[in-house]
Amino acid sequence: MILIGVDTGGTFTDFIYKDESGWGVYKLLSTPHNPAEAVLEGIKHIAGNKKCHVVHGSTVATNAILERKGAKTALITNKNYEDVIEIGRQNRHKLYDLKYKKRPPLIPGGLRFGISGRINSKGKLLNDLDFSEIEHILEDLVEKKVESIALCLLFSFLRPEIEQKIGERLRKRNFFVSLSSEILSEFREYERMSTTVINAYVSPKMTNYIGNILENMDSSILRIMQSNGGSISAETAMKESVRTILSGPAGGVVGAFELGKLAGYDKLITFDMGGTSTDVALIDGRLPITLDSSIDGFPVRVPMLDIHTVGAGGGSIAYIDKGGSLRVGPISAGADPGPICYGKGDKITVTDANLFLGRLIPEHFLGGNMVLYKDRLDAYFEKMAEMVGLTEVELAEGILNVANASMERAIRVISVEKGHDPREFTLFSFGGAGGMHAAFLASLLKIPKVLVPKNPGILSAIGMLLADIIKDYSHTVMRSALECDANLIYDMFKDLEERAYRDLQSEGVHPNLIVLEKYLDMRYKGQSYELIVDFSGADFVEKFHELHEKTYGYANRGKAVEIVNLRLRARGTIDKPEIAASREESREISHKALIKTTRTIFDGIEMSVPDYDRNYLRYGNTLDGPAIIVEYSATTVVPPDWSLYVDAFENLVLSSRG
Amino acid sequence: MNDVNPILLEVFKNRFVSIAEEMGATLNMTAYSPNIKERRDFSCAIFDSEGNMIAQAAHIPVHLGSMPLSVKSAIESCNFNPGDMVILNDPYKGGTHLPDVTIVAPVFAGGDVPVFFVANRAHHADIGGMSSGSMPLSRSLYQEGIIIPPLKIIEAGELDKKLMAFLLNNVRTPEEREGDFSAQVMANITGIRRIEELIKKYGVETAVRYASALMEYSEKIMRHTIKELPDGLYSFEDYMDDDGVEKEDIKIHVDLEINGERATVDFSKSDPQVDGSVNAVYAITLSAVLYVFRCLVEGDVPTNEGLIRPIKLITKKGTIVDAEFPAPVAGGNVETSQRIVDVILGALHQAVPEKIPAASQGTMNNLTIGGIDYRTGMSFAYYETIGGGMGAHSDGNGESAVHSHMTNTLNTPIEALEFTYPLMVTHYGIRRNSGGKGKYKGGDGIIREIQLLSDAEVTVLSERRRRGPYGLDGGESGKRGRNLIISDGSVAEVGGKFHAFLRAGDRVRIETPGGGGFGKITEEE
Repeated sequence: MILIGVDTGGTFTDFIYKDESGWGVYKLLSTPHNPAEAVLEGIKHIAGNKKCHVVHGSTVATNAILERKGAKTALITNKNYEDVIEIGRQNRHKLYDLKYKKRPPLIPGGLRFGISGRINSKGKLLNDLDFSEIEHILEDLVEKKVESIALCLLFSFLRPEIEQKIGERLRKRNFFVSLSSEILSEFREYERMSTTVINAYVSPKMTNYIGNILENMDSSILRIMQSNGGSISAETAMKESVRTILSGPAGGVVGAFELGKLAGYDKLITFDMGGTSTDVALIDGRLPITLDSSIDGFPVRVPMLDIHTVGAGGGSIAYIDKGGSLRVGPISAGADPGPICYGKGDKITVTDANLFLGRLIPEHFLGGNMVLYKDRLDAYFEKMAEMVGLTEVELAEGILNVANASMERAIRVISVEKGHDPREFTLFSFGGAGGMHAAFLASLLKIPKVLVPKNPGILSAIGMLLADIIKDYSHTVMRSALECDANLIYDMFKDLEERAYRDLQSEGVHPNLIVLEKYLDMRYKGQSYELIVDFSGADFVEKFHELHEKTYGYANRGKAVEIVNLRLRARGTIDKPEIAASREESREISHKALIKTTRTIFDGIEMSVPDYDRNYLRYGNTLDGPAIIVEYSATTVVPPDWSLYVDAFENLVLSSRG
Repeated sequence: MNDVNPILLEVFKNRFVSIAEEMGATLNMTAYSPNIKERRDFSCAIFDSEGNMIAQAAHIPVHLGSMPLSVKSAIESCNFNPGDMVILNDPYKGGTHLPDVTIVAPVFAGGDVPVFFVANRAHHADIGGMSSGSMPLSRSLYQEGIIIPPLKIIEAGELDKKLMAFLLNNVRTPEEREGDFSAQVMANITGIRRIEELIKKYGVETAVRYASALMEYSEKIMRHTIKELPDGLYSFEDYMDDDGVEKEDIKIHVDLEINGERATVDFSKSDPQVDGSVNAVYAITLSAVLYVFRCLVEGDVPTNEGLIRPIKLITKKGTIVDAEFPAPVAGGNVETSQRIVDVILGALHQAVPEKIPAASQGTMNNLTIGGIDYRTGMSFAYYETIGGGMGAHSDGNGESAVHSHMTNTLNTPIEALEFTYPLMVTHYGIRRNSGGKGKYKGGDGIIREIQLLSDAEVTVLSERRRRGPYGLDGGESGKRGRNLIISDGSVAEVGGKFHAFLRAGDRVRIETPGGGGFGKITEEE
């Protein structure tokens, strides 16, 4: 059986695979008109007619929303609340915009329907369901050629059977149906509705897409990467596609988590610098989960990996604004025209600044397959430097400093703002451009070590192969902690547990390999923000106080505590493909590794810096900066006061000597 | 600004703004009440040693100009030592209205005098006074709640328990208040720590120099923005419905002069202050002016002292836009501030018609409900504001069902509200066709109907109930708002400012105004 991880990206579709003879890597240009084409072509190239097991991170759900190409979807909710989805939280996302326009809702007014069946906060049905209303709506839906329906009644999580009853009726008419009590059984109606609507909107697209791949895969197995860091079967992904938004970036974080763990690091800050933006995430011994995500301005409240994005990347354009400040991004030169050094662009980018300072080696950029025009840079740097009264070198280093400052800010948001001290973490850098900035960024945050994995350009695909099968469940109970002892809570979890066991077994997981993690969302009575507390017995209230103290700096043990939601994470552990450590340690760096020396500038000083080919660096090799390490899809800069060590998994480990 | 390095300037800009945002994150996370956490009715900012604002996290525009006045007032009346924090809400000493409580803290860099200040302001759901929620239809400031002059709530790191006990004894929901006050303190601690780190890294001198460079930076951008407006004198006036007591049609008049890189905004011809609670203090008028000019800036710019430097604000003491003690002010902050924005925009429209929209809803529709929760026997106070239509503009229709201009608070989710309070939302929707007609239509307002499940005291403080928000360039006005009480099946429209004790089962229905239309409807349309 051949294992294949596939990550569809904007430019390339990345493949990593493992067969009898070991690991292999393959890249194809993506086929945006039908992403399945590149996926299938790659699988065929790698596996031929052999049986394979594929884990795939797809952008289909995300793109359906960003491009508004989802299914024709209707919303059914309670009468008098049909506009909740359009009002949202009544705020505007831009404060100082006199012509503010919000993104129109995915479902226009004419496709939103109100019915009776209002439930109150105690779970009482205030007015009975009237099925003749629903029949009328159904006629309308057929006439309007609706494909998919989102059903979201107020307080449905207290009486899920009511949505189920209606859902049954709708499914009989062959609509694709998403129930809010199934997708997100939690209070706060707008967020639940939005999550359900997005699911309804993207699932039919995903169903077509996956169906297309499955048809061409014979008897092979296909699993889909989710944004929560686990994978699910193709069948589940077709029904719950909202869980696959951001599956690519999630693959990267899982890859970092697993490779980091293997190399002995369980506290990581991941740093994925791309062309237009940079993703960062914090791993403190476990995958970071957030319940507060959104896509294109619409909330998605299923658990997702907590990945923070900032609009600065290799292609970000530098300019001087009207107030005289040097800005970098968020506008990007993209792939076309691209940075100045790509041959066409005329605006200085971060990549140009790196090249100008000699930190990027033109003949090794993408294995030498792409020409970089270094001589185009001088004229542009000269002009801009003169304009701002700096030397060209000061300007180039300034551009990198400003870009680093905005990436530093992104890392502070996920670390310092959440009570973590970056000095206790290792910076895990991947993506093509990350290695040129990682050590500098680490210095800013006093992070002592940087790790650059092997094949940093396809880490997401690697992560997909290493991801467990994960399903998340939650349910709002809104109870005073005083009313609940541990036994009662165990009882309350029973329904979710049964569902989880059933679901994971149908995902093909052996019961012995199922691990259930129980959590409670808790808060002090009167608060409106919950903390997620591990639940393992009677000490849950004390655990909450402790977590509150750790997170917010104080606890109030005299105050009443509420249990808002039950949360269950069911994990089916998979047999992870082995990543073997090398046994042979060699101090000596192979002479083949040293390519040449280049003139590189650090802190205004030009130095002669050795360039190494990563392919020839071996376990045990060490060297002191300054040095530049090149490989096919990435460049790593070891600054003057940093050292490099190659570990047993051929990760580059940079440490500060300062 | 010759010795200012454009790279360090950008780095410091990033730093100062992110410190203010980190304070906001702390406040948002640690606060108790839904009003702060769910609705995010607060602001955080950092200041130089004189109380000039360096950076503010973008939260609530009405706090823009008024925060610095609070800090300046705290500096004047208190002698700050390390570890001190000062609390205040007195509208006549830099505050806006009593529920907005500000806490100010100094940052020392080892010396004897503060080099920076941090402050945050949060709207508390009750601060005492004659009615639950402290947004009353009052006739004197004394009726609106407890008036806190600048006082040290924390001295040398120790909480003044007596002062805290005194404050808590004067509010209806003391536990919630205590939680929110401590969240405000935590937010300042975050700010202090982060500024100390910054100073450690760059040195006091550089930090102070770049703080002032940042103000100069914003000033430069504002000058540039004003310069693009055609020179001239532009006048506009509009009216507040009433003061909730007797006076109707309260005039706000502006004479706006653009002269090169400078603007003069003169409100001297506005009506005298009134008996009811819609008086605005100077700080609010300043905030409204700053907000409008900030909107004219293209791209992002740190909101700080520099923005106001090219603008001269003239008001006459004792008028509706610069009230004198002890005039009641509860509604000045939320309602009059919106009308001040409306008149400045109306004047600016004459200068740059393509940039300025018709009037937005022009009110925040403040609804306060308080009483005893039948489920627990405990008292409760609930406060919310409701969005409405935005004005249409030269590029398109106005947005519907959002908060506009001086506020941007979130709604409380229906399910959160019904779990927490003895209330039920019986209707929540867009008020269709309430936007003014025109070539481009004004945005629609909101309908929000709430049923009481306990007997309760209800206060509504709203505007644009007598005349709708104006249209421009031939566009029609948006529909005026309506407040209705539904009791035993009978529906009664009540005024814009309304206070009553209602019975369990009664419903309050608020229909918020639509935005004004823009441009004439032509034949074929």
